[in-house]
Amino acid sequence: MPWVIKYRPKKVDDVVNQEEAKSTVLTWIHSWLEGKRPTKKALLLYGPPGVGKTSLVESIASEYDLELLELNASDYRRTQDIRKTVAVASQKKPLFKKMIIILMDEVDGLSPRSDAGGIEELMKIIPNSINPIILTANDPWKDSLRPLREYVTMVQFKQLTTNQIIAVLQNICNKEKIQCDREALKFIAEKSLGDVRGAINDLEAVAEGYGRVTFNIVSLVVKPREKNIDLWRTLNSVFYAREFWQARKAVNTSEEDYETLMAWINDNIPAKYEDPEDVFRAWDSLARASIFLKRAKSGNWFLLPYIFDLIGPGVSFARKNGQVLRNRFSYPAKIKEMAQLKSVRENREGVARTIAKRIHASKRIVKSEVLPYLFLMMKYGDINRVSKLSSYYSFTEDQLRYLAGSRVKEIISSINREASNVKETKSAESSKHAAKKKRRSRSK
Amino acid sequence: MGFEAELLWAEKYRPRSLKEMIDQQDIINRLTRFAEEKNMPHLLFAGPPGTGKTTAAHALAHDLYGDAYMQFMLELNASDERGIDTIREKVKEFARSKTPPEIQFKIVLLDEADNMTSDAQQALRRLMELYSGSTRFILAANYPSKIIDPIQSRCAFFRFTTIRREDIINRLKFIAENENVEYDEEALDIIYEVSEGDMRKAINILQASAYLGKVSAEVVFRVVGMARPKDVKDMIEASLKGNFIEAREILRKVMIEYGLSGEDVVKQIHRELMGSNIKISDEIRVLIADYLGEIHYRISQGSDEDIQLSAFLAWLSMIGRKVGV
Repeated sequence: MPWVIKYRPKKVDDVVNQEEAKSTVLTWIHSWLEGKRPTKKALLLYGPPGVGKTSLVESIASEYDLELLELNASDYRRTQDIRKTVAVASQKKPLFKKMIIILMDEVDGLSPRSDAGGIEELMKIIPNSINPIILTANDPWKDSLRPLREYVTMVQFKQLTTNQIIAVLQNICNKEKIQCDREALKFIAEKSLGDVRGAINDLEAVAEGYGRVTFNIVSLVVKPREKNIDLWRTLNSVFYAREFWQARKAVNTSEEDYETLMAWINDNIPAKYEDPEDVFRAWDSLARASIFLKRAKSGNWFLLPYIFDLIGPGVSFARKNGQVLRNRFSYPAKIKEMAQLKSVRENREGVARTIAKRIHASKRIVKSEVLPYLFLMMKYGDINRVSKLSSYYSFTEDQLRYLAGSRVKEIISSINREASNVKETKSAESSKHAAKKKRRSRSK
Repeated sequence: MGFEAELLWAEKYRPRSLKEMIDQQDIINRLTRFAEEKNMPHLLFAGPPGTGKTTAAHALAHDLYGDAYMQFMLELNASDERGIDTIREKVKEFARSKTPPEIQFKIVLLDEADNMTSDAQQALRRLMELYSGSTRFILAANYPSKIIDPIQSRCAFFRFTTIRREDIINRLKFIAENENVEYDEEALDIIYEVSEGDMRKAINILQASAYLGKVSAEVVFRVVGMARPKDVKDMIEASLKGNFIEAREILRKVMIEYGLSGEDVVKQIHRELMGSNIKISDEIRVLIADYLGEIHYRISQGSDEDIQLSAFLAWLSMIGRKVGV
């Protein structure tokens, strides 16, 4: 299980260093529980990422045994969606629990266009809600949130100091029994810019990869807001998720686009799953996501949420039989190869084009019917014939390398030898010719 | 060997004139008459690959216009052109170019016409009508049933058949002798068997074998084995053994080195699975065909090839483990 989940605050007491915010939120919740509905029916928790906003709400829900309705960043949050979910929940009396907490993450991320009307709808719902509504935001001072601010109580979460983060990391190191230099922890904490979640992920990446956490390693490996790290976090959450929402949130909140995510998952399933049925289920889910993506791209963007369901939870819960393997995530071969292989593609298409023209067939036919034999000839065939063939079709050096592999040097030197032979013969002929001319002119 | 140029034998030994063509005699006779009368309708050449459709079209044009025939012929390949609009532009421009002396028309050769959607074919039909005064179309296709009726009814139809055993073997002998290549008779038989009446394939196998040494049965088998189909077979066998990771590596290699499209890979998998080379029960074969068809459809609809084919291999590995192949 990733450490961010393992060490995520489970009780309210576990949420550290946010005493002021904590007491405001708790007082507000207590008055709901006592049946005295506060005048402001909603809170807006704000502060930098990874300081415990969502964790606090989640721990309150579990500690007070309340139902929690979470709406994540990429759920559609237009007027009608909000009406369907938030509005309904705001009037609902839960069957088994005392109350429903409605948690809407990242309201500053509501897009004025695609989530049009979302804020206005919230403003209608909040005053009449019979359940507590909690909103979170990194930047509450955004213009789009101005009207909303009247309807909520603002609660600030402070950015953690370097020392506070070091303490959190140190605690984890002790529990995991990993040797951690204080200098190294300090480095991680500083680079995290107050984001505890990020710091814990960085710590885990180093500890898992190197077995110990020293300043030398950390200073080489940890970089601020590295994209790989974000992907690494997302993948971890997907493959280790215990709950549907964990996997979904991981995909939802990733900074990467879904196609990149799919490529990463596509390449890391075999690194993490082993049981053939688990592996197939995971791929089946991904394959269905890929169909949905194609449909979404042809204008049906409302399908996006289902894609998240399939690539996140779909992959998480594919694992039924086996364990999660401890292999490290690898960079997707597809993307890596695409980058490296642009040249291969160019060479392949170049060769196919040349030959297609000469034998009057399509490139497709050349690739499937001729190239397999051409490879054989170029790699293993008689060098004389191979070099003549190469010069006849004027293959470039890169194309030769593509066709003949390591043999390219041998072929090129053979071509050069051939060329200089031809030149010599030609010049011999022309000098003969010149001599003849001379003779003729003399005889005249 | 001197300084004689070396080229692909499929290019070098392509007949230039109808007179040089050895097979499909009925067809050649009719085409020869067109060349003599200097007139012809639109033509539709249908038949399996490597049976001389494209060669016959070039030879006809050669006999009509002479050695420099390419200035009066526009060669298009439906699977390489980017849709009907590019085809339309090219035909339009070509129709405007100068006309040959004595002959009233130029030729548009459209190869692999059965790869066009029926919408594109409708557009093509209009093109054929629009320029029928100055051009004749020759369409070549593997599957004539994929050509829409209105086009078929406008064309004289020619059905090319797979090339006869003796014709292929005689041609191979002629080439081998001309190239000073040693060969065993038995080896040529094997080449014929493997090529299934496809001349281009037979010549390619002969050339690759000759490059490796004397053309013997052993060398031919080596060449055929080393050419791609083996990769696909290996891939299927690896996954049936439950060796998914290896199977996936082969998949990558096939798609990247040969640049095969996902659909090409699916087709090859199908060919391998339905042959007798892979030992599985017929019941499983049906199951696999069912799922492979699904995968083929998904890819044809634009879903990610790598993901879909990986899903297929993962499924095959699971099935392989279950039934203990």
